[in-house]
Amino acid sequence: MDEKVLDIPFYQSDVPAGFPSPAEDFMDLDLNLQEYLVQHPSATFCVRVTGDSMQNAGIFSGDVMVVDRALEPKNNTIVLAVLNGEFTVKRIQKKADKLYLKPENKDFKSIEITEEMNFQVWGIVTHIIHKV
Amino acid sequence: MIALVDCNNFYASCERVFQPQLENKPIVVLSNNDGCIIARSNEAKSLGIKMGAPAFKMKSLFDLHKVHVFSSNFALYGDLSKRVMQILNEGSPAIEVYSIDEAFLDLKGVMKLNQFSVDLRTRVGKWTGIPVSIGVAPTKTLAKVANRIAKKYRKDGVFLMKKNTTINHVLKHTLVSDLWGIGRQYARFLADNGFETAFDLVNANESWIKRNMSVNGLRMVKELKGIPCYALEHQPPRKKNICTSRSFGMDVVNHAELKEAVASYASTCALKLRKEKSLAASVLVFIKTNPFKNSQYQYNPYQKVILDVPLNDSMEITKQALMALKKIYKKGFSYKKAGVIVGDIVPDSSRQLSLFSNKDPFKTRNVMCAVDYINEKMGRNKVRLAVQGFDRKWRLKQEKLSPCYTTRFKDVLQVKI
Repeated sequence: MDEKVLDIPFYQSDVPAGFPSPAEDFMDLDLNLQEYLVQHPSATFCVRVTGDSMQNAGIFSGDVMVVDRALEPKNNTIVLAVLNGEFTVKRIQKKADKLYLKPENKDFKSIEITEEMNFQVWGIVTHIIHKV
Repeated sequence: MIALVDCNNFYASCERVFQPQLENKPIVVLSNNDGCIIARSNEAKSLGIKMGAPAFKMKSLFDLHKVHVFSSNFALYGDLSKRVMQILNEGSPAIEVYSIDEAFLDLKGVMKLNQFSVDLRTRVGKWTGIPVSIGVAPTKTLAKVANRIAKKYRKDGVFLMKKNTTINHVLKHTLVSDLWGIGRQYARFLADNGFETAFDLVNANESWIKRNMSVNGLRMVKELKGIPCYALEHQPPRKKNICTSRSFGMDVVNHAELKEAVASYASTCALKLRKEKSLAASVLVFIKTNPFKNSQYQYNPYQKVILDVPLNDSMEITKQALMALKKIYKKGFSYKKAGVIVGDIVPDSSRQLSLFSNKDPFKTRNVMCAVDYINEKMGRNKVRLAVQGFDRKWRLKQEKLSPCYTTRFKDVLQVKI
């Protein structure tokens, strides 16, 4: 259960005599994207988005978001939220004791979160995986 | 002190994580092949839907109350279980994963037990979306009892039993039949002998218990008194036998299709053996006709084969299974289910060579290693024996399967923004 992927470069080249590679002592571990993108593996989920309400924040239709449920929402973080049973992705903003979900596209309007709404932050969007 | 952490209505809760609109709605999850009900949300329980009820009999009730019905999605449940267990493991001194949705924790050295449990429960809920209940007590058996109280009566989902007065009070209100390890048989036997509540057992004569319920019964009574008899098992005990069996999506009549199914189950058994680093010395094949179709004659034969040497390679185990199938297959019946059980399991480290075989066991071991490696990288069953077939018409019925949100990129949660 606690197995973690760790790729370690491994040398099989035979050097029976002569000089070893001068780089050998300076080898780093392989880059691990999982490690770069995922801070809390047991709390991190991938979610694909469609639609362009967040395009000014660099989230485009078809992108895959990395969502971390372990983090706490702060003012201005981008969240995956559940509003009245529906998922949405918006920037969360606090202004004068009021809470808003702010889109990043002028064609869309901010939503004010009111008492009677069923609102919940599902997770915090930490990275966007965008195919070029 | 020992904690038992149990996920509430686990399979139903897993489905809800990715479909939050189902909050407060009744959910049921069906067994393999959409046969009967194996999990219910609280809302489904209050509708009177029973565990194990056949799904086809409940259809009108489902429609009437808009019950959300799911085929079992074990890829999803397995992944969420792994996450829950990982969080429990990181957060506590020692863990025994008891089942897909339960774990015992050793809380030795934990100071504020109640606060610790509340925090752990909050963390699991926040990180994974899965609600859990935690019961804490001096022994495993008592932790199970405490867990029941936590789940049924506690808003914060945590119940701590430490003081004798608390424990005795709870045991007086716990039926013998609700205890860990008491099956229907023992429950009836104990009821006949005047034992009604768990507290009655605490006061029982120990030698009478030992005589009538063996040493395991005695251990249970001691555990109820707060004397630990079961330690945490950190390594799951080696399985005695491994079974792979499924009901078919539709009745299967001909030998060729049955062969495909049996070959697939046999190689799944072999794969499970290799994962456990075990070998099996016997292979048993069974086939069954549909018991719900009374009009047909019933035929439920089985055949066991003893192997020359213990094995775990898919090719040989499949070959033996198919030979066994050939012996029992009869034309004219429509079969509903087949299965393969490999038994007499020994650790791979004790591999012995056959005196009469000239086959090189290490050669097949290398082949299986390579196959497993490819299948792990490229997907289950990418490389398989030809006899496992390509159409797989007999495959499971899973009409209400949710996406594998956490294990396949093409299935990840889609959100419209």
